[in-house]
Amino acid sequence: MTLDSKVPAGPIAEKWDRHKFQVKLVNPANKRKHTVIIVGTGLAGASAASALGELGYQVLSFCIQDSPRRAHSIAAQGGINAAKNYQNDGDSVYRLFYDTVKGGDYRSREANVYRLAQISVNIIDQCVAQGVPFAREYGGLLDNRSFGGAQVSRTFYARGQTGQQLLLGAYQSMMRQVDRGNVKVFARREMLDLVVVDGKARGIVVRNLTTGELETYAADAILLCTGGYGTVFYLSTNAVNSNVTASWRAHKRGALFANPCYTQIHPTCIPVSGEHQSKLTLMSESLRNDGRVWVPKKKGDHRPPNQIPEDERDYYLERKYPSFGNLVPRDVASRNAKQVCDDGRGVGESGLAVYLDFKDAIGRLGRGVIESRYGNLFQMYEKITDENPYEVPMRIFPAVHYTMGGLWVDYNLMSTVPGLHVLGEANFSDHGANRLGASALMQGLADGYFVIPYTLGHYIASTPLPKVSTDAEPFKEAKASVQDRINKLLAVKGHRTIREFHRELGRVMWDHVGMSRNAEGLQRALTEIPKLREQFWHEVSVPGTPDNLNQSLEHAGRVADYLEFAELIALDALERGESCGCHFREESQTPDNEALRDDEHYSYAAAWGFNGVGQRPTLNKEPLTFEEVHLSQRSYK
Amino acid sequence: MANMTLKLLVWRQPGPTVPGRLVPYTADQISPDMSFLEMLDVVNEGLIRKGEEAIAFDSDCSEGICGTCSLVVIGIPHGPQRGTTVCQLHMRHFHDGETITIEPWRARAFPVVKDLVVNRSAFDRIIAAGGYVSVNVGGAPDGNTLPIGKKTADLAMDSAACIGCGACVAACKNASAHLFVGAKISHLALMPQGEVERYERAARMVAQMDAEGFGSCSNEGECEAVCPKEIPISNIARMIREYSKALSTHRKWQWKATTSE
Amino acid sequence: MPPQPKIGQSSIGTKIVISISSFFLILFLLLHLAGNVLVFFGPATFNGYSHALIANPLLIPIEIILAVIFLIHIYKTIRMWVRNRGARPVPYARKEWAHHTSRKSFSSTTMILSGAVILLFVVIHLETFKFGPDYLVAGSGQVRDLYRLEMEIFSNPLTVAFYALVMLLIGSHLWHGVSSAFQSLGADSPRWKRTFRVGGRLIAIIIAVGFIVIPIWVYFAGGRS
Repeated sequence: MTLDSKVPAGPIAEKWDRHKFQVKLVNPANKRKHTVIIVGTGLAGASAASALGELGYQVLSFCIQDSPRRAHSIAAQGGINAAKNYQNDGDSVYRLFYDTVKGGDYRSREANVYRLAQISVNIIDQCVAQGVPFAREYGGLLDNRSFGGAQVSRTFYARGQTGQQLLLGAYQSMMRQVDRGNVKVFARREMLDLVVVDGKARGIVVRNLTTGELETYAADAILLCTGGYGTVFYLSTNAVNSNVTASWRAHKRGALFANPCYTQIHPTCIPVSGEHQSKLTLMSESLRNDGRVWVPKKKGDHRPPNQIPEDERDYYLERKYPSFGNLVPRDVASRNAKQVCDDGRGVGESGLAVYLDFKDAIGRLGRGVIESRYGNLFQMYEKITDENPYEVPMRIFPAVHYTMGGLWVDYNLMSTVPGLHVLGEANFSDHGANRLGASALMQGLADGYFVIPYTLGHYIASTPLPKVSTDAEPFKEAKASVQDRINKLLAVKGHRTIREFHRELGRVMWDHVGMSRNAEGLQRALTEIPKLREQFWHEVSVPGTPDNLNQSLEHAGRVADYLEFAELIALDALERGESCGCHFREESQTPDNEALRDDEHYSYAAAWGFNGVGQRPTLNKEPLTFEEVHLSQRSYK
Repeated sequence: MANMTLKLLVWRQPGPTVPGRLVPYTADQISPDMSFLEMLDVVNEGLIRKGEEAIAFDSDCSEGICGTCSLVVIGIPHGPQRGTTVCQLHMRHFHDGETITIEPWRARAFPVVKDLVVNRSAFDRIIAAGGYVSVNVGGAPDGNTLPIGKKTADLAMDSAACIGCGACVAACKNASAHLFVGAKISHLALMPQGEVERYERAARMVAQMDAEGFGSCSNEGECEAVCPKEIPISNIARMIREYSKALSTHRKWQWKATTSE
Repeated sequence: MPPQPKIGQSSIGTKIVISISSFFLILFLLLHLAGNVLVFFGPATFNGYSHALIANPLLIPIEIILAVIFLIHIYKTIRMWVRNRGARPVPYARKEWAHHTSRKSFSSTTMILSGAVILLFVVIHLETFKFGPDYLVAGSGQVRDLYRLEMEIFSNPLTVAFYALVMLLIGSHLWHGVSSAFQSLGADSPRWKRTFRVGGRLIAIIIAVGFIVIPIWVYFAGGRS
């Protein structure tokens, strides 16, 4: 399949404006005749629902949570980037674009990234107008902080709850449209299949999680805003209900899946404390503004941190990357933490942690300032670890956090299934092989508020969309296949728990497809995952019935999909023989252990086509061409 | 600290219309480093191995921000630790052999779906009734054209921190939603955006709150005490002021059917 | 779209009505106490004051207004209480006080009970005094000797105990009620919170102690003649 990215012609700075003029429009009176299904109510989904509702489309909005306000965007802590240059420190749209392409290790689509940088300024304005309580300076103007991978302060924030406040802004805008009758919310619904009619995405099958009923809905276009697949690693910073199911089922119906191996490991999380753990907790990257990362110079130094003198500490990030210091991008910070721990210099009981120390910042700024900046994070740390980070350095370790890969989309955010659009973390387009901090919120809102209203209109205006009914054959077929899978899960009646399988899958993924990968390990993962899948379908125990709230059944369905999807991640990682961004192949590194790209062979987005479970998928390549940014080996030294 | 064994009394209710009851369970091998929900996971693992139905409870982010988890633990919503959601409550706050009752939020407006899971869509309908600034996408002025004093912004943020978990309702002897609604009205009333609709907003949100069947406020402040974000009841007072002004000035903004705009 | 509420029908409006009516009732109690204190100055002063009150032509309309306010307070409270009870049809098996910053107290949890006792008491109290035996001050014609009536009634230790107990309950009602009424009118801010709470409790103590001291004084000192 040839992948047409549909990037408009012209100079990069004019592409989006030209495209906005060239897209076809839907007459205001006709918009209300069109129904749009939006799955997911995070930043991308809620912003799209409100924007499309405002335009007059009939929006059906679905979420698995009990309320759209609880989507996992809410947990983003640190902030949102925008090229406002309020600080007069040299920021510009071009610099944000450049930083993002470079941060993504030159594996993103240039035109998309430029558009993202352009739109970033509108997002801040929009959110301020909605009443989002961003942090302010004493003069009443918006405050900024710094984030990794940038040398300017362009991150807007609302304490440590930026994601929450932005999501509530989008959610409230969406609920306003609910009040106006333009948006209908279907909460506690899980999308279990995509319905394709005459080659176009025309509907979905959802399970009503409260009653267990399978429901079908028809529409003129489908928007998937279902987030990332980090929980394939079992332990991650994602919410426990985050999953790949909606994307995976769409993939099975023909949507290509791009770059699944690009999974971001966040450097600052609270270390694992034991087998029972179901979830890892992120400590915002913003902490690296004031915290200093270090480990003891000596191996196996078990002294309490406060007794290790200054000259026996290795502030390894500051030592190795003097110009970015503690604010190197996430992939670099994570990998270095792994290296020092592999070196035997890790701290804490497990030896799998490094220190993040605020002593100097507290000495310089006073405890009050640190408290006002990070108070809620420090509190959260103390609740979980029972240690006071004002006095003892935090212990942190990398954890799976974000997935840059996702369903392949063109410049219009449409997947390879016509009518199926994919927004936010669920698509692959903007972050390349590594996402910079405070860019996920930016992308979710850019896609939802400012991109999809134009590109969806173009699709609807330029595509014949005869009415379809949910009685049509493809709906019946999809519903029956979903029912079949549920019946199978319940029929296994084995003796192992779903969580055991999920944990086991996570262990395989973390060991072989984690922070550092090699061909041998990936091959092993590719043999272990199908085995585990086989065992799952013979030994799993899914108690209860399908006709009411059954959380075991929900979890089982998600793990079953992960057991298929995980193979694709490993395969993609194996296929990509270079290191880039978060994808670190041990075979491809510079003499000083930095990721070594191979632009000659791997400058493409890998978009995989589904050929059946256990069958080798088809690799399609979208070549990545860089007209603006000069490809270079990333250096943060 | 050594592992603990705990006696649980868990509310089991198969469905909304079926009566429920407290069922005893034993939680073995509970590490003090576990969160409360991880402890329940352990119990559920045991049930699933036996082919029994797991205890249904809501949880998602496990970071205390999404507001999904909703358990009344030993008679207190989110348990005894101050300013903490139950997902962030750790077992080190309990002692070996302790008996722990676990119940769902109880309110007419929050009907039980199953076991410990309740339906809180009443909160969504209250927000839909006016908990927003009426601004469409596009055309927003530059973010810095409207300076907002740091104090005001901070105060608004204090109110905006509400995670919508409903613990306030669960704790209140009247199952009142005044703190939830007060926090949202306060957040928006403190900010200059949306000033023109502030009274209509207050009137409509309060009317919807009443229609949902929540009780009224007895000013005991149990809500504030259990709120994981420690939102003070001064927000309720602010809501009352907004509402009073709404009623006394309602001819100016008129009680209009907004669907007809 | 919910229908437009009438003032006083919504949960907040109800609380406002209850609060405003309570302020009148508190004002009445304070004036009543101020009048009663005159009993310490002997029969002449006390009977002179009470006669001036009874003879005032405005008394009847004021009494009617007061009664209406009292009844509104009761009616709105009971309606609210019924509604509040309905807001939680299934009770908790176990429910503890949250402590921390909570103001929950014996007083706040017994408002409806203390209120009911007060209503009962008001009926008895009116029957005892207002509609009680019509002693007249010797040689004065129309002047009621309420001083004598009071002395007689409080010579019974059971009556004194009953009065003292009810006054404690009134104090309890006000202990939570006064500051709560301010909060229900929206008068709560970090700056005034303490003032309202402390002030409210002070009023509660003054009223309760004031009304308790009189019967006890009568019982032990027997008044002066």
